[in-house]
Amino acid sequence: MKGAMLLQVQSLVKEFGGLVANADISLEVRRREIMGLIGPNGAGKTTLFNCIVGYYKPTGGKVSFEGEDITGWPAHRVARMGIARTFQNLKIMPLLTVEENIMVGAFCRTSDRGIAIREAQEILELVDLAREAHVIPTELPIASQKKIELARALATKPKLLMLDELAAGLNPLETKEIIETLHRIKEERNLTLFLTEHVMEFIMTISERLIVMAAGRKIAEGRPEEVAKDGRVIEAYLGERYAEGR
Amino acid sequence: MELATQLVTYGVLMGCVFAFVALGLSLIFGVMNIVNFAHGEFMMVGMYVAFLISSYLPLDPLVSLPFAAFLGFFLGVVSYRLLITHILRGPMVAQLFGTFGLMLFLRYLVMFIFGPDVRTLSHGVLVGKTISLGWVSLDASKMVAAGLCVLFFVLVYWMISRTKLGRALRATSLDAEAARYMGIDTEKMNALAWGIGAATVGVAGGLLAHFYYVTPTVGMLFILIAFATVALGGFGSIPGAFVAGIIIGLIQALGGHYLSELKFTFIYIAYFLTVVLKPRGLFGW
Amino acid sequence: MSQLLNDIFSFGDRPFSERIVLIVFSVVALTFPWLVESAYARAVMIKFLLIALFGLGWNLIGGYGGQVDLGQAKNVGFGAYATALMILHWHTPFWLTVPVGIFFATLESFAVAYPMFRLRGHYFAIATLCVALAWKELFIFWDWTGGARGVEIPIRPTPDFTFMEFGEVGYHYFIFGLFMAQFLFMNWFRKSKLGYQLQALRDNEDAAASLGINVTGTKVIAYCITAGLGAMGGSFMTVYYLYIDPDLVMPLDLSILIAMTVMVGGAGSIWGPMIGAAALIPLDMYLGAWLAGGGHYGIDFMIYGLIIMIIAAYEPKGIWGVIERVTKRG
Repeated sequence: MKGAMLLQVQSLVKEFGGLVANADISLEVRRREIMGLIGPNGAGKTTLFNCIVGYYKPTGGKVSFEGEDITGWPAHRVARMGIARTFQNLKIMPLLTVEENIMVGAFCRTSDRGIAIREAQEILELVDLAREAHVIPTELPIASQKKIELARALATKPKLLMLDELAAGLNPLETKEIIETLHRIKEERNLTLFLTEHVMEFIMTISERLIVMAAGRKIAEGRPEEVAKDGRVIEAYLGERYAEGR
Repeated sequence: MELATQLVTYGVLMGCVFAFVALGLSLIFGVMNIVNFAHGEFMMVGMYVAFLISSYLPLDPLVSLPFAAFLGFFLGVVSYRLLITHILRGPMVAQLFGTFGLMLFLRYLVMFIFGPDVRTLSHGVLVGKTISLGWVSLDASKMVAAGLCVLFFVLVYWMISRTKLGRALRATSLDAEAARYMGIDTEKMNALAWGIGAATVGVAGGLLAHFYYVTPTVGMLFILIAFATVALGGFGSIPGAFVAGIIIGLIQALGGHYLSELKFTFIYIAYFLTVVLKPRGLFGW
Repeated sequence: MSQLLNDIFSFGDRPFSERIVLIVFSVVALTFPWLVESAYARAVMIKFLLIALFGLGWNLIGGYGGQVDLGQAKNVGFGAYATALMILHWHTPFWLTVPVGIFFATLESFAVAYPMFRLRGHYFAIATLCVALAWKELFIFWDWTGGARGVEIPIRPTPDFTFMEFGEVGYHYFIFGLFMAQFLFMNWFRKSKLGYQLQALRDNEDAAASLGINVTGTKVIAYCITAGLGAMGGSFMTVYYLYIDPDLVMPLDLSILIAMTVMVGGAGSIWGPMIGAAALIPLDMYLGAWLAGGGHYGIDFMIYGLIIMIIAAYEPKGIWGVIERVTKRG
């Protein structure tokens, strides 16, 4: 009954006052895969994310999740459908403790405070933040704050987790740690991951499939090692002259 | 016909006064995105300056206008330096309450000093004079207020769009951080915006005192009218404030004629409808 | 059911010292009429409880929700007028008029909430101000509500539980009961799903929406609950003052005082409204009254203004923020 396709985007277009940020983007994310989305700064990755999860209304095209048309749904309904996301610029609730931040996520699925607390504690354990449960999040380092966002998204019990530039601003050690965490939660929670990044290294190691965007268009798709050899991708990243000179 | 002309003329003149009051509010909002609840109190201080100078010195209230402007400028800059610059760093709620506190403080400081009595200007070249033009009679002080209003609008608009100072102000409003990198002292620019904003409304108050009751609590009504004006014109838009002021003046004049008890209700409703239906106002970006 | 009772009465998640303070406060409030003879001091206590009660309700939208509502007095007015008019015209028992006031306040709030919550921050605050002032003008204008003359309800010679009229001591326990009811409601609320969702959207609306929270819907619900809580206090005001007019129950000053109480005490803390009212009301009733007696008007509000400016500039979390910082260090 449920197909292999979890998320389907068909010919999505997003314009801002005549400025095209996403032009005719189509893609599919399969169940339980790790899909990466890369592209240079300003390629339209975050815009695409925002169109999928309901922060922007697409100008055209269709977004469906588990076969249901969710185009233009408000963000909270998309979240309840089972798509959770993290933000490129951290959006932590600064007046709530770490545990409360995650409880808010858990309240997406329950009204019972006791259940929400248990769920939060479990997830804090999972992302290795249990000791910081009662701390105010803004007192923690960036890497921990990113984990809080991840944990909070996880608490909504999503099927698809969309991570916007999760590794940005982390050092290599922290990046390695977050990759391990991601693999662990993916296995334990039966998740599908869809991530964007403009730093190649992180996404090349973690993704099973990759989509490359440049100037608002999708220019390539495939396994990371294939994509890395693609002339159009190298061109987009390194400029035309480099590609011609090869 | 006669009545309609009279009402429209009255509305346009009052509209100019409303626009005059709103000018500084719009300027301050445009530069630093903060709504100044104490704006009406700056105006009230201007009214008291006119009242005091004409009552206790053998001078015409018109002479008080430069003093009102000067005191307004001083109040604006001091408020910015002592209060606003601190609350700009805090959450939005603190910003709202900060200027709200300033409003209460100024209003009740004046009440403490001069008492709650309602005063009126008793003499002055313009007080009580009317000019008759055919079948329309015009209040001389409102005419002068309207004229000065237009003059100040042109001055402020010219300053913002044509002078070096104006460019620095606009740079500060567009992106304060970038402006700092370009060597603009944004703190000074903000303080200046507060000074100019308060000075213009001080003058407006000095003129308003010619034909309106002078009381410590007069600011509240006018700040609400100014909010409605600025919202209708588009927050931060100088020409918008002018056009919107006249529209609000007409609404108040016509509404006041037919349902005088509710004449201010129309203004509240105008604000409500504007922000709900057209949140960016007529001239908003 | 037992879970619900536990959520209402339990202070288990708060430090031991706070539980002690709550017990001490309750004991003092319960014995107050025996401890203090002075009628004026008793009136101050009633005013303190009333404003703290209003603060509790406002804290929901303003403190937990972060939406600066400067029009709570309109809801107080709805409650007060529902009670006054029903008692005057139809001799309705007091407790039947309370739900009617709550109903109208909630209904009106629901009607204006959707357009209003398309606005944020300053625009919202000014809109609440405008709506409340428009209602006040309408009540002054409207003959059936007594217009500017107001409504007087008959004074009953003996204590009367149908219309809730009795002496100072009776009113003291009456308002204390209402206060405790709202306090316990807020104690439940701050731990509830709605409470957490409201705090989440206060802190970050985008994040809240990404967690499945209907931001506008949640704000509307909170705004309506706040309205209902305010109306309840309004009903009390009618039977306490036995006379109401728009200047007494719907003035802008009351809206400001309510919001200020919470801001000064500590927005978003269960203790904020009590602390704020304890700081502001005696100041007003003693210092303000004393100076006004000497012909100096307005010094109370002048001091309010000063306090607010200092708090906005240096301690946006109010007096409670200071207490929290001091106790954490200690």
